Amino acid sequence: MKFSYRWLSELVEGLDTDPRELTRLITMKTAECEGVEHVATLLDQASPARVISVEPIGDSHNRRVVVETPAYGVRTLVCGAPNCRPGLMTVYVPVGRKVIEGVESDGMLASGKELGVNNDHEGIVELDPEFPFASDWIIEVDNKSLTHRPDLWGHLGMAREVAAITGRRVTDPVRMSLLPQGESAILVEIENYELCSRYSALLFENVTVRPSPLWLQYRLEAIGLNPINNIVDVTNFVLAELPQPMHAFDAAKLRGGKIIVRPARPGESVPALNGETYATDSSNLLICDAEGPVAIAGVIGGMESSISDSTTSIVLESANFNAASIRKTSTRLKLRTDASMRFEKSQDPLNTARGLARAVELLQQVSPGIRLVGGLVDNWRQAPAPPPVTLPLDWMDRKLGTELPADEVRRILESLHFTVKSKSDRVLSVAVPSWRATRDVSIKDDLVEEVGRMVGYASITPAPPQTPTVVPPGNPERVFEHRIRDLASAQGFTEVYNYSFFSDEMLKAFRMDADSLVEVANPIASDRRFLRNSLVPGIWKNIVDNVRHLDYFRFFEIGKEIHLRPGLPPEERPRFLAAIYSRQDATPALFELKRLAECLLKTVRVDMDAEPREFEHPRRVGLVRCGDSDVGRLFEFHPNLVETGRAAVLDLDLTMLQVLQPPVKPYQPLRRFPTSAFDLSVIVPPRSKAGDLHSVLAAAAGESLVEIDFLRTFALPDGSNSISYRITIGASEKTLSNEDVTAIREQLIAAVQARGWSIRG
Amino acid sequence: MLAERIARIQSTALSKIESAGKLEELEAVRVEALGRKGELALLSKELGKLAPEERAEAGKLLNAAKQALESRLEDRKRVFAAAALNLRLESEWLDLTLPAPGIRPGSLHPVTRIQREIEDLFTSLGFTVVDGPEVETEHYNFDALNIPPSHPARDMQDTFWLTDGHLLRTHTSPMQVRAMEKFGAPLRVIAPGRVFRNEEVDASHEHTFYQLEGMMIDRDVSVAHLIYFMKTLLSHVFRRDVTVRLRPGYFPFVEPGFELDGQCMICGGSGCPVCKQSGWLELLPCGLVHPNVLRSGGIDPEQWNGFAFGLGLTRLAMMRYKIDNIRLLLGGDLRFLTQF
Ligand SMILES: [Zn+2]
Repeated sequence: MKFSYRWLSELVEGLDTDPRELTRLITMKTAECEGVEHVATLLDQASPARVISVEPIGDSHNRRVVVETPAYGVRTLVCGAPNCRPGLMTVYVPVGRKVIEGVESDGMLASGKELGVNNDHEGIVELDPEFPFASDWIIEVDNKSLTHRPDLWGHLGMAREVAAITGRRVTDPVRMSLLPQGESAILVEIENYELCSRYSALLFENVTVRPSPLWLQYRLEAIGLNPINNIVDVTNFVLAELPQPMHAFDAAKLRGGKIIVRPARPGESVPALNGETYATDSSNLLICDAEGPVAIAGVIGGMESSISDSTTSIVLESANFNAASIRKTSTRLKLRTDASMRFEKSQDPLNTARGLARAVELLQQVSPGIRLVGGLVDNWRQAPAPPPVTLPLDWMDRKLGTELPADEVRRILESLHFTVKSKSDRVLSVAVPSWRATRDVSIKDDLVEEVGRMVGYASITPAPPQTPTVVPPGNPERVFEHRIRDLASAQGFTEVYNYSFFSDEMLKAFRMDADSLVEVANPIASDRRFLRNSLVPGIWKNIVDNVRHLDYFRFFEIGKEIHLRPGLPPEERPRFLAAIYSRQDATPALFELKRLAECLLKTVRVDMDAEPREFEHPRRVGLVRCGDSDVGRLFEFHPNLVETGRAAVLDLDLTMLQVLQPPVKPYQPLRRFPTSAFDLSVIVPPRSKAGDLHSVLAAAAGESLVEIDFLRTFALPDGSNSISYRITIGASEKTLSNEDVTAIREQLIAAVQARGWSIRG
Repeated sequence: MLAERIARIQSTALSKIESAGKLEELEAVRVEALGRKGELALLSKELGKLAPEERAEAGKLLNAAKQALESRLEDRKRVFAAAALNLRLESEWLDLTLPAPGIRPGSLHPVTRIQREIEDLFTSLGFTVVDGPEVETEHYNFDALNIPPSHPARDMQDTFWLTDGHLLRTHTSPMQVRAMEKFGAPLRVIAPGRVFRNEEVDASHEHTFYQLEGMMIDRDVSVAHLIYFMKTLLSHVFRRDVTVRLRPGYFPFVEPGFELDGQCMICGGSGCPVCKQSGWLELLPCGLVHPNVLRSGGIDPEQWNGFAFGLGLTRLAMMRYKIDNIRLLLGGDLRFLTQF
């Protein structure tokens, strides 16, 4: 929302605060300003000018012009504007002294666009008498910070704030006495007062449609509203001032002398001012004449009944529409207009008649000879005024954390047009002005903000709360996650964060079935349509991207899988994934990841009964288990997905990882008797698993087993493998004798041979 | 005379000891002079032939000579051992500038780093860290936060709606209500997490980023307390005292609502491009919890009140590490991530 400093100056008596300082004050006390811009600066040195003579220069479209100005005397210059003619009153700007077409040109005659007064660059400005020769400052306020303030969508609202901030008085530009009395010439019916609580209108005749005077065009242009014609410009002026959105209908095009406000009927559509035709439904409120729709209420007027050059009589609508309904319509039609933006903030119903009074005054200026026909139409079901808000001052002091005298609070509230009465010494009764009462201020907490912002929060001294010390409830899951992060990074893994979405590329590479995924209903990009139910595709993308720069890397991610559950809300499962890429060979990488898994949970093992998935190397995939519980997967990517080099991935269920952490238990007393050790080398057929041999040896050693340590494995010429273990045995109550050791060794050898394996050497 | 012979043997052996160049030569001297068949041993056999008084005298001389030689031998051995050790140590020179074997430590994500610092701070201030779902309901994300369906504030947040009617949370604020429901009053929580906005992305806009919500509920929590915590937070994060200012800001779930600005750390408040010449940086939206939100969480606003704030973790990380492209954070480029 743009505010003109000059406009505000007209509404705030004696405003002389520097525009930049005012911008800062508004930010600190009212709403966030995005900036302040000095506009139409040429006007500060411009002067009115009368064209004395215009002479051709050869065949050129340029002409030699002599003007007379009050500020700069007589000047000669070159001008190409087609409308430059002797006797014309225009604007001279003393810039650009140079020789053009052999003529020394001193200064220029300016177009409306050059001056910043309107968007006209066809010719030079044709001056009218009331034009102010002054630049303006435009203060731009962030619309988001005005969401709750219907009144601040107009200059009068901001003027009230500025007056309160600077300790000045605000001038109300509305003179209600201008409204005509008596019987009205038009009839207004409202079907549903919830949707339209008030509809006021006036009928005018003897209307002349023409461009607005320059001062009005300048005002609108400066705040970003395009001047159109005098009638439309007046409605926009009132919209930007009070702020009351209005609409002017060509009265001759309204059929049946009647206006009906009602929801759209099935199949109705409205050809609108902007050339589009909008199909409406029963959630859209329409303005209709006796025969059909003429406007979409509060959003846009209809094409057929709009003002044209031939218009001679108008109906001026000034109504109040339900904010939610307007918002819904504007969202559904994807059409946000200056009117709908204001209505959806809940406008003050008192402003409909005030808007018309203001318009009467302006129309009389811009369309001389205009006449009112009949009295004011005012169809209104007035809601009862909300009760005053009770404000206990001690309560407010405790909320703000500072003590404010009652007089100060009263002064502040009154400067913002609240009506304040004392209920008791320290309790006020505060009535809310109509323009703040529609949604913005209704409870005492709202008043804390009013007082706080005007006092200034800088006056509040920061203080720690006086509350008892208690140990807060813990969050073991998060502590665990952080522990894992530390562990993984200490092991050389770098943390990545990936998106929660699957891109098209991932869906394709992993041949995913979209039906099994949680889907976004309103995606604005194709890489944000489906939620990830696995972190693996993201990890894969990281590998593919980083391979372009690095030969070897390792990284991890902690994130949530989001799973579709028919009939239930999606389920989020936290996972830990780690990956190692190596351009050479990733066989050790798989074991490094296995070691990482063991760091995270000492008792995990990897089993080889996994059903390989399409993206996994079918001979390099294992299930990570602890006891009977599945904890995750360890695999290498299929070469179809990672073409050069090898990439290994560890994918663990974070919840299981935490649940399975070993419980606290008492320590085992140290052995009192020495242990004995011997090595066994076993020859096994190709693709036998060391884990199986380990299990056989452990089972055979039974109670006397202390430790089994893997020593080495190598392939023999015939393709079978030799696997060596060192077995440590002992007893708790004695030292094993040589005979004991030999017996156990024989036991182990027998077990190995029972499996059909042989002992080497 | 025996005494002379002893003296001669001793002096000969001593001079051999002195001239010995290595351990083996010393050993040879020892065997020759002190061995079982050495010169002194042979002499001692002759003692028997002497008269008792002479024998005692000669025995003393013999022992003295033995001791003198042994002692000297030991001294010399120590010198040789020390030299040998020195030689070994000298030969064992190691180049410690060589890189250590094994893998270099990895890095934690910049957002993780800053998040943990803030978690640790608030934990020390008696706050609980809570986690919440990324897939939220309309109730927790909007309605319970005083943002009904027709509220224009919903425009502020472009929402990812899911086909089943759920949504991806647009802020961490739903955790306010979830925490109130779970713990009741009094309450001190922070809730860091991932949030989503259905927006176009560029160097400063992401559809996925991180926030940290904070909330304290107790009797008579005031704006003064809020400012205290926010100043503490910012001084901790920026590791220096930060000048702050509070100004009105509109968020439906707080009343009054504020924007808290910190004095620009780049220019110190005199104005620069980073702060758009204002001298201030918008750091945290905050406010006193709206009574409707307390009610949503099952807490009686006449008995309790509180403050809430939202911190842009992503933005904070960008400020600290001077990251000028937000997309680096979820881009997975290890050349970037290994820098932290
Ligand atoms: Zn700065």
